[in-house]
Amino acid sequence: MKPLSRREFVAGAALAALAAAPHRLHAAPAATPWRNWSGNLVAHPAGRLAPRDEDELVTMLRRTSGPLRPVGAGHSFSPLVPTDGHLVVLSEFTGLVRTDPQAMTAELMAGTRLSDAGRLLHAAGQAMFNLPDIDRQTLAGAIATSTHGTGVNLKSLSGYVTALRLVTPAGQVLDLSAERDPDTFHAACVSLGALGIVTRITLRNRPPFRLQTRFSVAKTEEIIDCLEACAADYRHFDLMPFLHGDYALVTAQRETDDPAVPTTAADDDAGFIELVKLIDRTPVAERRALINSAVSGMAPGESVDWSFDALTNFRFDRFNEMEYSVPADAGPACLREILQAVASDGIEVAIPLEYRTVAADEAWLSMYHGGPRVAISVHRLAQHDFRPLFTRVEPIFWKYEGRPHWGKVHSLGYDRLSALYPRLGDFVALQESLDPRGRMLNDHLRRMLGK
Amino acid sequence: MTTRPARRARLRLCLFLAGLLCGPAATIAATPAVEPDRAAAYAAAFSTAALTPEVQRKWARSCALCHVRGEGGAPRMGDSAAWQPRLAQGDAVLMVNTLEGLERMPPLGYCMDCELGDFAAMIQLMVGRR
Ligand SMILES: Cc1cc2nc3c(=O)[nH]c(=O)nc-3n(C[C@H](O)[C@H](O)[C@H](O)COP(=O)(O)OP(=O)(O)OC[C@H]3O[C@@H](n4cnc5c(N)ncnc54)[C@H](O)[C@@H]3O)c2cc1C
Repeated sequence: MKPLSRREFVAGAALAALAAAPHRLHAAPAATPWRNWSGNLVAHPAGRLAPRDEDELVTMLRRTSGPLRPVGAGHSFSPLVPTDGHLVVLSEFTGLVRTDPQAMTAELMAGTRLSDAGRLLHAAGQAMFNLPDIDRQTLAGAIATSTHGTGVNLKSLSGYVTALRLVTPAGQVLDLSAERDPDTFHAACVSLGALGIVTRITLRNRPPFRLQTRFSVAKTEEIIDCLEACAADYRHFDLMPFLHGDYALVTAQRETDDPAVPTTAADDDAGFIELVKLIDRTPVAERRALINSAVSGMAPGESVDWSFDALTNFRFDRFNEMEYSVPADAGPACLREILQAVASDGIEVAIPLEYRTVAADEAWLSMYHGGPRVAISVHRLAQHDFRPLFTRVEPIFWKYEGRPHWGKVHSLGYDRLSALYPRLGDFVALQESLDPRGRMLNDHLRRMLGK
Repeated sequence: MTTRPARRARLRLCLFLAGLLCGPAATIAATPAVEPDRAAAYAAAFSTAALTPEVQRKWARSCALCHVRGEGGAPRMGDSAAWQPRLAQGDAVLMVNTLEGLERMPPLGYCMDCELGDFAAMIQLMVGRR
């Protein structure tokens, strides 16, 4: 085995802290614990603050002292949320505040789940440009980490924010936009929950639209050869190459005027989920034959849905995920190297990779600040130790100047992050000015922000 | 990660995997042991649980997301046959499953502002004890 570099050693230690046991802050059996979606993070917060409105939030922030961490739907895999102070939950901050049909913008309360946002906006004659794979996240939680979908011309959700309201830890209410206070605005569009509590978000939208979804199977090698052209041909293009197999699932979506074909029953993803479980139970050496025969025989399919139904789907067994975004032209080479490394090392993994394209935006800490990138994700079922897979793959992402998704497992601290995110230093300075006592920080944030 | 591609391919896969794999998604896990101090805290929560309008609102924006329509194999509210084997494991196990997640249900069942008492009241509501 080749010796570990210092960075790899430190990274291994950081991943171990996230995986060995759930991330415990301290044990307090009687308190209501907090856990994230996949269950790899556990905290015992001193309490939960769930204000009913902005006035109550301001009062709570002014009356309390000690650490605060906002939480959305708890769908992040990285320890952004854990605290032994207070969690701030905006579950009462939901719904559509107002729309502007001329500007095609809509102001939503920050705790609104993406699933609710889709329907509320549709009723108001608007639709979000793009959505991530699932829609259980809150709007504030999603933009805090630059959550994205796929589409060469489509930005992460943060890229469509035109204004937001931020309540600072001192209880000051700031209405931000690119015109009013551009620096704070561009920092707050991807804030990691470190600047204060976002209570309202205005999004630039478009008229409602339907998508025709084409599902097919392709030989991974062949599709990688045409990735750039294939992705540019569709509004959305999503590739899921099986590791330890020669095939990939391809989902390509185009806008259409065709009527929606209603989707089917609640458990209609069972086939895919069960295939993943079967792969998981099959010894690595025997997987290629299984995957190739099962996947190559899958029939292509087509459907038409409204955008918010066509783009998201939440049903899957729980997993942990690492995702890095590499510069767009480095995507195919990075993908090939991951497939090759995992296969040659015989590393355990059953869930396919995911490969998506995202356009540039201006938010300081967006993974897409400064240029388009492709996001490559690796997943491991939650019941398994993700370290062998993630520690093998993460250095490959570094080689291609990958930026980690803030909400997913990674091991980077300030030194490495500041080389990847040119505005990180400015973000840290702003964070200190809005939160001089560091109330919004936890250990993970302190490590990433160099404190 | 999207599983939507599989939606269109499900039938084909089910044929390929010949019923062996396309059984019900949810299984009932073996009863975990609950340490005495935690069990006592949970028992206290159940004994004082109250289904206030606030708890009902919390239920509507969390548990109801899956337990009304049976999303992801979740037992439907009021389906006593589906709840019976779960109930037989005892209140403490139901609470542990809620706090730690089970199968496709994430920990805390999507309720980030619920305390133990809220969960106890919502469990009682769903298993038909209220
Ligand atoms: C099954 C699954 C699928 C996913 N699919 C995708 C995908 O397709 N694309 C993608 O990019 N990501 C994806 N993710 C990652 C996920 O979108 C992000 O981690 C997202 O940030 C989670 O949002 P949340 O509402 O759960 O927020 P949380 O995870 O609870 O919090 C995320 C961050 O937001 C902050 N925050 C929350 N509320 C506020 C507020 N009111 N004010 C200020 N800060 C706040 C928190 O402090 C934290 O820093 C997926 C995650 C899961 C579990």
